[in-house]
Amino acid sequence: MPNSILVLGIETSCDETAASLVRRNPDGSGNILSNVVLSQLDEHAPFGGVVPEIAARAHVEALDGIISQALARAETTLDDVDAIAATSGPGLIGGLIVGLMTGKAIAAATGKPLYAVNHLEGHALTARLTDGIRDPYLLLLVSGGHTQLLVVAGVGDYRRLATTIDDALGEAFDKTAKLLGLPYPGGPEVERRAASGDPLRFDLPRPMHGEERLDFSFSGLKTAVRQQAAKHAPLSEEDVADLCASFQKAVTDTLEERLSRGLTRFRADFPEIDTPALVVAGGVAANRAIRTALASLTNRHGFRLIAAPIELCTDNAAMIAWAGAERMALGLLADTADVAPRSRWPLDESAEVRIGSGRRGAKA
Amino acid sequence: MIILALDSSAGLCAAAFYDASDGTALGRVVEDIGRGHAERMMAVIEAARLEAGIALKEIDRIAVTVGPGSFTGIRVGVATARGLALALGRPSVGVTTLEALAASVAPADVSVMAILDARRDEVFAQVFAADGTPLTDPAALSVAEAADLAIRHDARLIGSGSPLVASLLGQPERAISEAGTVEILDVARVGAGKTASAPPAPLYLRSPDAKPQEAYLLARQERLAQ
Repeated sequence: MPNSILVLGIETSCDETAASLVRRNPDGSGNILSNVVLSQLDEHAPFGGVVPEIAARAHVEALDGIISQALARAETTLDDVDAIAATSGPGLIGGLIVGLMTGKAIAAATGKPLYAVNHLEGHALTARLTDGIRDPYLLLLVSGGHTQLLVVAGVGDYRRLATTIDDALGEAFDKTAKLLGLPYPGGPEVERRAASGDPLRFDLPRPMHGEERLDFSFSGLKTAVRQQAAKHAPLSEEDVADLCASFQKAVTDTLEERLSRGLTRFRADFPEIDTPALVVAGGVAANRAIRTALASLTNRHGFRLIAAPIELCTDNAAMIAWAGAERMALGLLADTADVAPRSRWPLDESAEVRIGSGRRGAKA
Repeated sequence: MIILALDSSAGLCAAAFYDASDGTALGRVVEDIGRGHAERMMAVIEAARLEAGIALKEIDRIAVTVGPGSFTGIRVGVATARGLALALGRPSVGVTTLEALAASVAPADVSVMAILDARRDEVFAQVFAADGTPLTDPAALSVAEAADLAIRHDARLIGSGSPLVASLLGQPERAISEAGTVEILDVARVGAGKTASAPPAPLYLRSPDAKPQEAYLLARQERLAQ
């Protein structure tokens, strides 16, 4: 049986500067020894969204201190660490460079291996850390940057079933909030306003409804919200609440319809699994209306719903450390010192490109 | 004192091991790569280390260029330096590209103005006394402002921006070098003389270029009522 593995994780792909120490035990279970996340929320709030250059500037000033904190809270030193894992994509390139170079430097100075981790793989494998799942499972990743449904069959074995063909779901929440003048970050505020609104007042579309393919689309919904809102401007507090509630209802209806097909597909592909799991991760997974909708959906389909605790749903470095530990435990090769950051890096590289394929390759 | 100096602030990717006690370059590797510093930096450090024939843990401090220069390049260097400092338990210090340029001509008998072409009709500039003491703060200036400053301090001009200023002044003889990049051993020398009080922080001299967005907003009743 292999020894336990202690990994330092580094995450800087968006607007959180994060470091974490995670131990993987010989039996495959894991312990989070520390999980430090510094949010740059206040720095981006005046701009109503993440500004890449501001994010990069904040990461480079904060990261070494955050790593020191993570080591101190775990009551350990770099001497005891077996490997360093740093997010090298996908994400904002300026932040990725800071995290990856810091990881490379620490690896060079200590002579320990460096694992360049795909941020999405971190989300994908979190359920193996928190809930010890080993069977293939379905992962719904819903954040400001991603909306994907993946089959996680094992470490390094991911098949994308669906992705958004335009906006990410979190982006649709944030843009809805922005046009209604709600403070950043918009997602939680839309949820709060929706609680007192009428979800049936505005007739909004359910994008992709009835389509055979499993993909998502949220751009049309966002535009419809804008058109309805413009028609009723100037908006009263009640209008805003009703728009939020109607938008959120359109989102939950859409997720239920789209995912229902995804669950059916998974059942057909893995008939031997008695009670398969749908794991939900990403910042949007914090939305209670969405969680409720997913709970009832999975219940109807005989799936169990696994939602990681909020601090492991949103961006964090524990999931990056864990992904590194899982790769090391399998004996996968560490990365070389010339590994490049990748702003675009689909988890399933064989998946057909649906969105934004440019010089840097497929977006997701 | 052994210094590891790093520079990725412009087109070069450079590392040097420098013994400040006797002023010897133990190892020096400079690659003119233009871009892709994140990929090359560790290999350049390793090549210089092999040339120096020492272990990383034998260094006493790390010196890194903090700009002004390419925002991305600066962050490659600063993140690397701070990561090394954290893991080796050694201090790291920041050296500005303007300081390193000025150091390349020191000791001089006149004051020197280091000037980097910042495009958009601007330069990054700073004036140093003959002994290397800074006389002004580093700043982004129009070419005309830089020309005024050069006259006020009767300074010789060095750096990629010096032809711009010299030609505006009609005094080409004032420019003594048009170097757009720094010599890595100058970075090491300047870094050796600094007090390691705070970790190196990028010197951008320009704001991130972001503006608060209002255009998206729809009218709200309570806004009209105010």
